[in-house]
Amino acid sequence: MKPPPFSYHRGRTVEHAAELLRELGPSARLLAGGQSLLPMLNLRLAEPAHLVDLGSAPGLDAIRRDGDLLVVGATARQAAVENSADVRSLVPLLAEAVEHVAHPPIRHRGTVVGSIAHASAVAELPCAALALDAQLTLLSADGVRTVGAEDFFTGAFTTSARADEIVAQVAFPVTGPGTGQAWSEFSLRRGNFPVAGAGVSITVADGEIVDVAIAICGVSDRPVRARAAEAALLGSRPDPETVAAAAAASVAELTPRGAGDLAAHILPVVAAPVPAWGYRASVAKSQVRRAVTTALTRAGGVR
Amino acid sequence: MTRTTDNQADVPAPTAPHKDMKWIGRSVKRVEDPKLLRGLGRYIDDVVLPGMLHAVVLRSPHAHARIVSVDAERARRAPGVVAVLTGPEAAEQFGPLPDSGPAPDKHVWRVLAADKVHYVGEGVAVVVAENRYQAEDARALIDVTYDVLDPIVDPIAAAEDTGNLVHEALGTNVAYERTFTFGEVARDFADADLVVRDRLRWGRQTAHPLDTTAAIGDYDAGTGEMVVHTNSISMTWLAFGAAVALGIPSNKLDLRPYISGGSFGSKQFCWRSTVTAAMMSKITGRPVKYVEDRLDYQLNGDQHGSDRYYDVELALMRDGTFRSLKIDCVDDYGAYIQFGVGSHGNALAQVTGPYRITSTEYRVRAVLTNKTQQGAYRGFGADAGNWALERIVDKAAAELDLDPADIRRRNLIPPDAFPYHIPSGNMYDSGNYEPVLDHALQRFDYDGWRRKQEAMRAEGRKIGIGVVTANERSVYGATEFWFWFDDKDVPVKTTSTPEGVSMTVDTVGAVTVTLYSTPFWGNSSDTVAAMIAAEEFDVDPADVSVVHHGTKGGLPAAGPGGSRLTVMLAGAITGASKKIKDKLRRIAAHDMEVDEADLEWVDGGYQVRGATDSRRGIADLAMLAYLVKTALPDGEESGLAADFVYDHPHLTMPKPDRSDLGSFYPCVGHACHLVAVEVDEETGSVDILDYVAVHDSGTLVNPRSYDGQIVGGTAQGIGTALAEEMTYDAGGNPLVGTFWDYLIPTALDVPEVNFGHEETPSPITAHGIKGGGEAGRLMAPGALSAAIDDALRDHGVRVTELPATPERIVGWLQGQGG
Repeated sequence: MKPPPFSYHRGRTVEHAAELLRELGPSARLLAGGQSLLPMLNLRLAEPAHLVDLGSAPGLDAIRRDGDLLVVGATARQAAVENSADVRSLVPLLAEAVEHVAHPPIRHRGTVVGSIAHASAVAELPCAALALDAQLTLLSADGVRTVGAEDFFTGAFTTSARADEIVAQVAFPVTGPGTGQAWSEFSLRRGNFPVAGAGVSITVADGEIVDVAIAICGVSDRPVRARAAEAALLGSRPDPETVAAAAAASVAELTPRGAGDLAAHILPVVAAPVPAWGYRASVAKSQVRRAVTTALTRAGGVR
Repeated sequence: MTRTTDNQADVPAPTAPHKDMKWIGRSVKRVEDPKLLRGLGRYIDDVVLPGMLHAVVLRSPHAHARIVSVDAERARRAPGVVAVLTGPEAAEQFGPLPDSGPAPDKHVWRVLAADKVHYVGEGVAVVVAENRYQAEDARALIDVTYDVLDPIVDPIAAAEDTGNLVHEALGTNVAYERTFTFGEVARDFADADLVVRDRLRWGRQTAHPLDTTAAIGDYDAGTGEMVVHTNSISMTWLAFGAAVALGIPSNKLDLRPYISGGSFGSKQFCWRSTVTAAMMSKITGRPVKYVEDRLDYQLNGDQHGSDRYYDVELALMRDGTFRSLKIDCVDDYGAYIQFGVGSHGNALAQVTGPYRITSTEYRVRAVLTNKTQQGAYRGFGADAGNWALERIVDKAAAELDLDPADIRRRNLIPPDAFPYHIPSGNMYDSGNYEPVLDHALQRFDYDGWRRKQEAMRAEGRKIGIGVVTANERSVYGATEFWFWFDDKDVPVKTTSTPEGVSMTVDTVGAVTVTLYSTPFWGNSSDTVAAMIAAEEFDVDPADVSVVHHGTKGGLPAAGPGGSRLTVMLAGAITGASKKIKDKLRRIAAHDMEVDEADLEWVDGGYQVRGATDSRRGIADLAMLAYLVKTALPDGEESGLAADFVYDHPHLTMPKPDRSDLGSFYPCVGHACHLVAVEVDEETGSVDILDYVAVHDSGTLVNPRSYDGQIVGGTAQGIGTALAEEMTYDAGGNPLVGTFWDYLIPTALDVPEVNFGHEETPSPITAHGIKGGGEAGRLMAPGALSAAIDDALRDHGVRVTELPATPERIVGWLQGQGG
């Protein structure tokens, strides 16, 4: 459980880190909180020749409001986001989802942006980012571009960011009046990645759902939006039956996955006794129902 | 003391709990804790010796394959590498590991695989380098060519297979098979009103201590002495086994024990790390440290738990009274069988539990497969045995529509029947079971919970209540090593399981106890030793010095295991103390010029009976013993020191036809666990709402640390019941390797346990103590299984397979078995 040899490079600034990535090429990996990368190195599941450490680059750990957005910098720790009053009031789904990430010691090292960039199909934060239509700022030696969460996740541990791009920050839209958000998940042991989880944001006006976003993790090679469920709810005056029907619809539109696929979605290389599709889908359905119900209550729209 | 089966006259009647003791029975903070909690304990990985090298093991990626060649030349040339030893090379230089399984020469167990790999993870080569990073880098450079064979995974199929064998020399994959019949089974089944049958599956699990098994070998080529610093084996009694494997004279080997972050059985007789480190030190002439990483531990640590398939039949009467029990068990031992079927001896020691059952049939088939071999895990087979028995009792209760607490009460062995012999021959020394049940029901508020349950169920909630009444045997006897075989096939009919201690009282009266068994494994050996010595000499336990001696020159000692340590240390320390106190009495009588018979021990000294002004304190007497030879009686040696070797308190021989195995596990405690759970139908999760555990392990030494044993064992039992499983795919590939997928419960998953105690002293041990180290894990799986059944009774779900994972529970709810 010792990593193979690698060269360590400290990025003095985010721009410097981007230059190093460009210079060192594809054998370099970016290091932020290290909560995914370092275990992979110790298990020798990853053997990068170079690590570029973003940890001491100044100004990257900010959590700040910028107009209608809440911006989380690349090295902001999960614990800092969890404990931020701004996050709790402005993007409650993010605050609730981050509480479910592993355990406190891990959240004190791990970063929100790092988890999103790692793009695990079962992790909470990529799913929350998808539900919230987060905007990711990708920075490289060529400059800066912005990508929406839905375009960012392209597969298991795979994103539309190039190897030399750094996710410098992620911006989450802040909630307005009438919006309720909720995260619900079921994991086999508290602190583990969920079997399946759902992030929901719903806006209710005059008893009617006027905006709804639902994302599910654990059921595909990436977090997915539950478009059929969203459609079933949008414009409705929801009651428990409608919510249950929407939850059923959220699973019905998914493509069943075999055990091998599911294992590969969860952890590259090592086989794992992952819950089978049928169970996973049934848990996903229950979590969508629970998250939608809670979000509606919080939006003041449940009857 | 060995007695014949028929002579039980010397078992005294049970006594009332001792109430006149100063330390025994008091909750005392553990003497080990100040150093451990302040980070001042010295664990094996803290030990750094000058010039020390680091070893890593190359593990087989295949479940079953012939080793065609091992090319280590690139690794040998890698930076920092000092030595590489391949399996074929090791087989030429070192002997097999000690294996007490049947026909060890036909399933030869080596520290590294020599010609064939038998499971994923089996060692194929060891690399030793200046640091662990370099050793792991070089390990990746070893080229092994394998001829991959069909894996042997399913034990039921493997038992029938004669073509594809784990060990060709054995000629079969069934390492052991025998049916034992104890009493009139056929008659009792014929007489019974009904027979309840169950097919049960106990999944494979492992203990997970905080630290893995590790050792540092330190060979002195000048003297030929090998010192091994180790957190695993240290028992003087069988240490010669390691010497034989290493090719070292037994009196040149010293295994020095270290504290450990737990064992739970997994470090019991753990030869591999000791031999790995020692053989590499012998080769390199430098100290070599081998610390298993978590994958080494999980895949190549020789400590998986029982992996059983049960068919159980209980014959009983309409009124719910039990008659007879039949158990047919296939146990998947993995690739080797280091302890034979000893884990079935543990089950047979209490095969009928706390119940009056007059006859028993027990069939065991031990099957070898391409998996990591079994070792010991807290309960050592009695865990699965208790679960199977409690499952069939619950099924019987359901068929007769009896309350599960009630059917148990009807069958409990009554207090006047002790000492009680169960059908297998084992003796239960003492017991008073009904007060334990009553205490637990009252503490749990059983009737109140039943009312609450009905109200909650009316709201649609799936609430269930489970109860078990079960036993915990303690203090194993050595007949268990061999009574499996006919007398003619047993070379040495071992009957010793000794535990020796040395004690000194120094010149100023300070007490030192030297132990020859493993220090802190979580089982508080130092606290026990200090409390027992403090009781004898009227000193504070915190002032007793406890020393752990290495095996070289040590008294015979078997160390922890089978919940024996507290009983055995109490016996040994009581015996050694008596020798010293007898000498103190002689010196006091001589010095005071009174008759020895007129002296009594009071508050740390001898005084003339009834005359408090005429006394000699321990410090006064010690001063004389060490410094004033002329004050001693003629012929009395200077100093105050005594050795005492305590052996098994009550062992009787098995009958030649094995219709009676004799008494081999006689100190038998009892417990009742009650649990209320809520099951989530959608996710299959089981939430524990309330948990009560009432235990009777004889005289309590330290209730505080005993409660810790119960909650720890219960936590492991919760993992056993709900989450932990070492799974393999059809190719024999382990699907579990890390804590990512092997789900041990955390503090967030374990409820507060509401403890209660009863005390029925043992009539055969010092102070009436019984062992209690495994108890929680022996009860929780049965209690939780019953509670899940009860919660899901409207769906006809019964837990017949453990762990009852959320996914399995949802499957059962959807009608897929269960």
